[in-house]
Amino acid sequence: MKKFTAADLSMGAVFVGLMAIGANIAVWFPFLAVPIGGVSVPLSLQTFFAILAGLLLGKKLGVFTMFTYIMIGFAGVPVFANMKSGLFVLFDYTGGFLLSFLAVAFITGWIADKMERPKLLPLAGAAFAGVLANYLIGVNYMYVAMNTWLGLHISYQAAWLGMAPFLIKDVGLTMVAAALMLKIANSLQHRSAPFSSTPR
Amino acid sequence: MNNAFIIGQYVPGESIVHRLDPRTKMIIIFLFVIVVFFANSVWSYGLLTVFSLLCALTTRIHFSYILKGLTPVWFLIVFTLLLHLIVTKEGDVLFRVFSYPIYSGAVAQGAAISLRFFLLIMVTSLLTLTTTPIEITDAIESLLQPLKKVKFPVHELALMMSISLRFIPTLMQETEKISKAQASRGVDFRTGTAKERIQAVVPLLVPLFISAFKRAEELAMAMEARGYQGGEGRTKLRELKTGRLDISVYALFAVVVILLFIIRD
Repeated sequence: MKKFTAADLSMGAVFVGLMAIGANIAVWFPFLAVPIGGVSVPLSLQTFFAILAGLLLGKKLGVFTMFTYIMIGFAGVPVFANMKSGLFVLFDYTGGFLLSFLAVAFITGWIADKMERPKLLPLAGAAFAGVLANYLIGVNYMYVAMNTWLGLHISYQAAWLGMAPFLIKDVGLTMVAAALMLKIANSLQHRSAPFSSTPR
Repeated sequence: MNNAFIIGQYVPGESIVHRLDPRTKMIIIFLFVIVVFFANSVWSYGLLTVFSLLCALTTRIHFSYILKGLTPVWFLIVFTLLLHLIVTKEGDVLFRVFSYPIYSGAVAQGAAISLRFFLLIMVTSLLTLTTTPIEITDAIESLLQPLKKVKFPVHELALMMSISLRFIPTLMQETEKISKAQASRGVDFRTGTAKERIQAVVPLLVPLFISAFKRAEELAMAMEARGYQGGEGRTKLRELKTGRLDISVYALFAVVVILLFIIRD
């Protein structure tokens, strides 16, 4: 297995920081709490950054970066949504969304690794696959969590219905993400060596 | 605003729990999480509650402060309890609230699950209250050593965590700067449809990306200039040591676990 270079590690660390900001973006930009169906849903750019990590860093470094992000949160740095941190996020019913970022980065990274040149359509496809993985894992985890250790018996449909406003938000965000990613990917022509193309 | 959460939850101190090897704390908390699910009677829950409270007391951190740290999950605990009172229909009717019957089984079950949840959260938060993130990073590196056999980059994980610890506050300050820069230019995003707000994200992210990537580049160059070669042969500034104190804590925890298995139903 190829070793991670210094550039890989620092790029990954930056994405860990971006994930932390993305999770709490509404703290800095309060207007990002979007009203959907009468409920104010604070936007989270976590999924967006997880997808971006997969696309820009590739599947291996992307997954590794997400793993580091989760571990940093476990170590007590408030990087998760709502400035949470610590192991107990796993007991919360939203813990699956956190774990799903590993899969999100893997899937989008896998698709990006296959792409020779960044194009809008495959990028959008990769981003949608990422959101799909996010919700498939997240909602199923929530269902299992509620019905086992939280001891609340909710139906499978109710679990999905409860997450519907968030899903709408994330699909909307993904469309913006795909367009933005194309811009970024084009300005960083060599995905494996993101620095070589940056003019000094 | 930001200074409050940059450091994380750590509360400096000199208590026994603070002085324990971070690996000891992590292993015991990991085992505790499993053991909690074996409690099934009043006495077994009582034993675990006493043990957790004892742990919390020895940290010398004010108990109200520990409880304050749990605010994000209080809602979940209360919600679980209430839902149990409404949904579960086992045992006898204890009393009625506005003619809605509350069953004894519901009270018992709701209380047990809420208590279990409370214990899990309190004990796991003790780790981050008494251990700095950098100590936890060292402990994770040490505990994951066996994974090196399957080619898992353990050293790289620890290094990336350390770099992130450095980057997170900087990037957060950067974000705040961007938001203020936007405000000083008279940008007002407070009104607008959901679509407009989502689109407004793009001009905010671009400067953030530029500064973040620039920092990554500078760091990578600095590391290479100093001859970073990966983890092979690197020495450590902070060495972890398992001492007598750690062994006695393991022994105490073993006694608690054995007692639990004796008194559970």
